[in-house]
Amino acid sequence: MARDALVQEARELLAAMENALLEIEAEGASPDAINAIFRAAHTIKGSAGLFAFDRIVGFTHIVESVLDRVRNGTQPLDEPLMALLLECSDYIAALVDAIEARREDIEPDPERRARLEDALNALLGAGAAPKAPVAVATAAPEAAGQVEVEGGESVSSDNWHLSLRFSPDVLRHGMDPMSFLRYLGTLGRIVHIVTLPDAMPPAEEFDAESCYLGFEIDFASEVDRQTIEGVFEFVREDSDIRILPPHGKVAEYISLIGALPEPAGRLGEILVKGGALTQAELEQVLAHQAAEPVPAKPIGTLLVEREVVPQAVVAAALTKQKQGEEKRAQEQKFIKVEVNKLDALIDLVGELVIAGAATNLLARKQKDPQFEEVSQALSTLVEQIRDAALTLRMVPIGEVFQRFPRVVRDISRELGKEIQLVVTGADTELDKSMVEKLSDPLMHIVRNAMDHGIESTAARVDAGKPAGGTLRLNAYHESGSIVIEVSDDGKGLDRERILKKGIERGLVQPDQVLSDSEVFRLIFEAGFSTAETVTNLSGRGVGMDVVRKNIEALRGEVEILSRAGQGTTVRIRLPLTLAIIDGFQVMVGESTFVIPLELVVECIDVGGHDTRHNIVKLRGEPLPFVRLRELFDLPPATGVRESLVVVQYGQHRAGVVVDRLMGEFQAVIKPLGLLFNQVRGISGSTILGDGRVALILDVPNLVQRASRAQAALAWQGQATSMPEQTGGNS
Amino acid sequence: MSPVHAEAAARQYLSFGLAGEQFALPVAQVREIIEFNGLTEIPLLPEFLRGVLNLRGAVVPVIDLAVRFGKGRTGLARRTCVVIVELPDAGNAPPLGVLVEAVHEVLTVEAGQIEAPPALVGGIRAEFVEGLIRAGTRFVIALDLRQILSLDDLAALTGLSAQPAAALES
Repeated sequence: MARDALVQEARELLAAMENALLEIEAEGASPDAINAIFRAAHTIKGSAGLFAFDRIVGFTHIVESVLDRVRNGTQPLDEPLMALLLECSDYIAALVDAIEARREDIEPDPERRARLEDALNALLGAGAAPKAPVAVATAAPEAAGQVEVEGGESVSSDNWHLSLRFSPDVLRHGMDPMSFLRYLGTLGRIVHIVTLPDAMPPAEEFDAESCYLGFEIDFASEVDRQTIEGVFEFVREDSDIRILPPHGKVAEYISLIGALPEPAGRLGEILVKGGALTQAELEQVLAHQAAEPVPAKPIGTLLVEREVVPQAVVAAALTKQKQGEEKRAQEQKFIKVEVNKLDALIDLVGELVIAGAATNLLARKQKDPQFEEVSQALSTLVEQIRDAALTLRMVPIGEVFQRFPRVVRDISRELGKEIQLVVTGADTELDKSMVEKLSDPLMHIVRNAMDHGIESTAARVDAGKPAGGTLRLNAYHESGSIVIEVSDDGKGLDRERILKKGIERGLVQPDQVLSDSEVFRLIFEAGFSTAETVTNLSGRGVGMDVVRKNIEALRGEVEILSRAGQGTTVRIRLPLTLAIIDGFQVMVGESTFVIPLELVVECIDVGGHDTRHNIVKLRGEPLPFVRLRELFDLPPATGVRESLVVVQYGQHRAGVVVDRLMGEFQAVIKPLGLLFNQVRGISGSTILGDGRVALILDVPNLVQRASRAQAALAWQGQATSMPEQTGGNS
Repeated sequence: MSPVHAEAAARQYLSFGLAGEQFALPVAQVREIIEFNGLTEIPLLPEFLRGVLNLRGAVVPVIDLAVRFGKGRTGLARRTCVVIVELPDAGNAPPLGVLVEAVHEVLTVEAGQIEAPPALVGGIRAEFVEGLIRAGTRFVIALDLRQILSLDDLAALTGLSAQPAAALES
């Protein structure tokens, strides 16, 4: 579990790192972006360190060192370094994948790692020269105890003095202060330790996940400062860690007392008790402090941890601090919940909906007005709970889109094309379970568009288009569906070529008349590819047929719009949720079927309409329809007055002829499972109020069937001018 | 506790009637038995898939073994039951319902009481039969559900039968 959390956190951080890198590439370096990158690398290293995933720690450490140079301005962030960092983030991702697969002991790609490390180390070597003066400055206080006199007299204590104020978030970051202290204990002897609970809030404000404790420690050890600092490596960022060497200067203690949040007198006592200061020394310190107020900027003073720092770093640290505050404010608005818990909740809400329907049914049978009223009120609430529960699983599609800036950048370089990515509608929400399954199909469509859709720069200029191509990712909601579009402004699909290939492969009859969209649909057929367009880039194992299958498995639909010379749009339409829908119940004979209500346009009486050729004329427009009884081979009935339910999916409408209309109800979608995968015209099942199972109609499939039948008819019967005949009778 | 352990060598089978024969299934594979209370037929599927039923909120497919054995549809009568089975080694495969004419009893069978099946038992393919249980003077046919309900196999069958529908479409 903790491992999963680590993997997930690392992936989020890598995504942030990549975004920041791309932002720098697009808009130039900013301290914010550089800090974000540094922070990502640092946190990954820290978390991995807690689990002793040494491969990732070792690698990120070098990356972090280079980033540190970038952050303090000694290493310029130029083009080659950007490329290197992007590749490093890829490699860290590979290491994270290995952790997820529990193969962290195996190096994913030793050669690549060696190459990256060499490149990073080369930078570190080159950057060392300008860094040298800084290094001297940091080294100075090390020897201070013996050599330097500037800070005033030294104290007599032979022990290190450590003041630790852990960040309140330290536990939330998965680190236990105790483990640091235990580790410290292995490096020497803890002579004296005082726990400071001063930051502890009143009980009612107490947050069990926050760390409120501080420690004052006197520590006897032969190790050097760096080793002690190393103990607190992973908390150094947020926590206040101050280390005073043996025989530290009085001035250091003065500023220490000044900088710590607790009252001076109390700290003084602790210091004396621990033997860090003698009583006389303490008095001296306190006298000093009273005389001259603590320097306004303790950061700039001799405090060991903060060293002598270049201005840039201070600025960076300040911005980071600010970001941290903003982040904390954001964190309060979200809580992380395990997906399992959410799924369990949604399942329960599903059961509630079914039970509610049963109650409703009973209320109607009993004909008790009070009972009916109560059950109605209950239904309304259940409906609201359902909607609220479903929105819990909704996430912005931006989660999928955020991968693409990098993909587009890399592919456009690989292809030598200049392609700009424009993302819109990234905050459009859809079900989390769909987000995961959408990623691969989208990736394939995007690759295709860049490889085959957008022309080379030369060809674009020849065609009078802007040299740089544009790829658009767009998402929006439309009548109960989410629509996702991938558009390019490239050369468009070659209709004739696809048609020719379709005829060659026997998918189309040579004399068949097809609409543009029907021709374009051919590229979704298995193994369909127009020979000249195959490159290693798009041939990544998934074909457009797999894209279509993936989308259809989500009860969605893909459509292609294309115009020669102007570009192609692939439009994916998906239902908003896979769990619960508003259903419209209809009956044929004794069988009950459910139509998703959002797809129902209207219901009309079939009687009196001319229904020849399965086309009915509705307000002057021909409407193709299917009879469920014929379609599903149900026993014939006599004397039923049939109704026609008009359904719409995307741009297409069709009618479904049924025996009886039963009205609306909330349907919990129950998948039918592997056995029923092949059933056409049915997309799932649901449980009715009386406990029976009803089948949910696959409206997209029915609409498609009806329109195809109509097209076939129009093609056969052009000579008979059928529409006029029906027109006369309606 | 202890009686169960004492009989570890013996196995328990649930016997039931179907198409005039007596059959049995290991009790370990039976999750529960429910009275037949109607089911929802699914159009355009092969006959052995009789439909689906609602088992406390889960939609469970129901299979007619008699059709699978080529002995015609199982008639519905007062004693008709659905035996809900779960295959232990099939991972988290969903439960399946088996339509039977009547449920009889639980047989405790010693290892020596099971005989290897002849090539054809009552017109049923040998791979569907685990063995013959001698119960007094008669034989009960112990079925090998894994073979009979091999999901891939069934899905392939439904796939075949869906072909006409696909042809209709194009």
